[in-house]
Amino acid sequence: MSAERALSGDERRALAREISRLANASVTDMLAAPPVVAARSARRIGFTGPPGVGKSTLVGTLVERRAARGAGIAVLAIDPASPYSKGAILGDRIRMDRAADDPRVFMRSVSSRDAQDGMCNNVADMLTRLEAHGFDEIVLETVGVGQAEHAVKALVDTVVLLMQPETGDAIQALKAGILEVADIIVVAKSDLPGAARMQQQLVSTVQFGVQRSAAWTTPVLGVSVETSTGLEALEEALDAHAQWVLEHRDAGEVRHTRARYRVQDLIVRQLEHALAALTPAECDMPLAGLYSATLDRLRSTKSG
Amino acid sequence: MSLAGKRILIAKPGLDGHDVGAKVIALALRDAGAEVIYTGLRKSPDYIARVAIDEDVDAVGLSILSGSHVDLVRETARCLREAKADNVKLFVGGTIPHEDNPALVDAGAAGIFNASQRIDDVIAEMARVLDVG
Ligand SMILES: Nc1nc2c(ncn2[C@@H]2O[C@H](COP(=O)(O)OP(=O)(O)OP(=O)(O)O)[C@@H](O)[C@H]2O)c(=O)[nH]1
Ligand SMILES: [Mg+2]
Repeated sequence: MSAERALSGDERRALAREISRLANASVTDMLAAPPVVAARSARRIGFTGPPGVGKSTLVGTLVERRAARGAGIAVLAIDPASPYSKGAILGDRIRMDRAADDPRVFMRSVSSRDAQDGMCNNVADMLTRLEAHGFDEIVLETVGVGQAEHAVKALVDTVVLLMQPETGDAIQALKAGILEVADIIVVAKSDLPGAARMQQQLVSTVQFGVQRSAAWTTPVLGVSVETSTGLEALEEALDAHAQWVLEHRDAGEVRHTRARYRVQDLIVRQLEHALAALTPAECDMPLAGLYSATLDRLRSTKSG
Repeated sequence: MSLAGKRILIAKPGLDGHDVGAKVIALALRDAGAEVIYTGLRKSPDYIARVAIDEDVDAVGLSILSGSHVDLVRETARCLREAKADNVKLFVGGTIPHEDNPALVDAGAAGIFNASQRIDDVIAEMARVLDVG
């Protein structure tokens, strides 16, 4: 999309329906769908971190700034479904109101529905679809629980991990293997007490052990949207990382990681159906028999 | 009663600053299985229509306590029509005197609710209009 051009109403409607179609598409639908080819790739940035840490607020502010400078931006924001009713309050948008008011911005809320990894069904294809539309940047906000950190890493170029002051210590995050996933770590709400200490802890933790690559040092930045602190530094870090990705990341490896995630999404769903279709007799079989019965079901069960 | 799979935008146009009712409805819709998007206070009909498009919703529920419900419903319906979102059902709820119902229907409301109604009845009526009851 040319940066100066706002989306027309017709484009918005078509894109919105396409996202709905993907949100509802079964495994069978996906296998039958024609491939979507993006003429060029967009820059993909993922924001992850615990519930309420400030992801949507930060995304809204960043998107507003970047769109004002002319970038065409799509935001996909995932919120959790209620395990009881399967319904959802998709509340990310309310924190992005001003950004979403910019006609260059397309913002879409999605429910995680049954997805167990903090994403939503067919999320990889949603991102490709947005990319094919020609946005300059695509921003993904994950659900704040589960394995979202790992899933998001497969799908975006830059993972921004938000941590909140006074919520346990950095060691906890280190043990959970979360810090390794981050390309940029943000201590959000840095206006709150404890932020400086948290940042200090994280800096030493990152130096101490989680550095993945000699070429990229994960920065730890204090950011407060409340007081407009640290936003420039975050944008500089985003740009620096984009440059690093261009120079150091193997495009083939990225493509293959995304292909694996995409097929895994389908297989995981198909497996749910397969397991549900196992008969009591099959469940009583010895493990090897049960295992092969499940594999058979994986092929033969009709997907929902 | 299930609204499973339905996407519903709850919006507050106009100037009043109370959104307790909107939030109660949003939670009840979620519990009925709907995916609910909430826009926050004081949104223009134009913005509400744009969100309805981006979010590809089946219905918009306007919560209005300011008294200007007829104008706001008419204006939102016009914006939805202009955005070619005629398929989106428009509901309105709030402090609405009964005698305004005909004018609201005329302005484009597919369902009208006031504060004295039981929440279950509101959900049931929305489901009926959205054809999933
Ligand atoms: N003090 C302070 N509060 C903030 C800041 N940024 C966000 N908040 C508040 O933190 C709360 C949660 O913000 P969200 O942006 O909704 O957090 P989130 O991570 O998107 O939440 P989920 O999507 O529900 O996981 C809100 O009440 C915000 O107003 C900040 O910089 N400083
Ligand atoms: Mg959020």
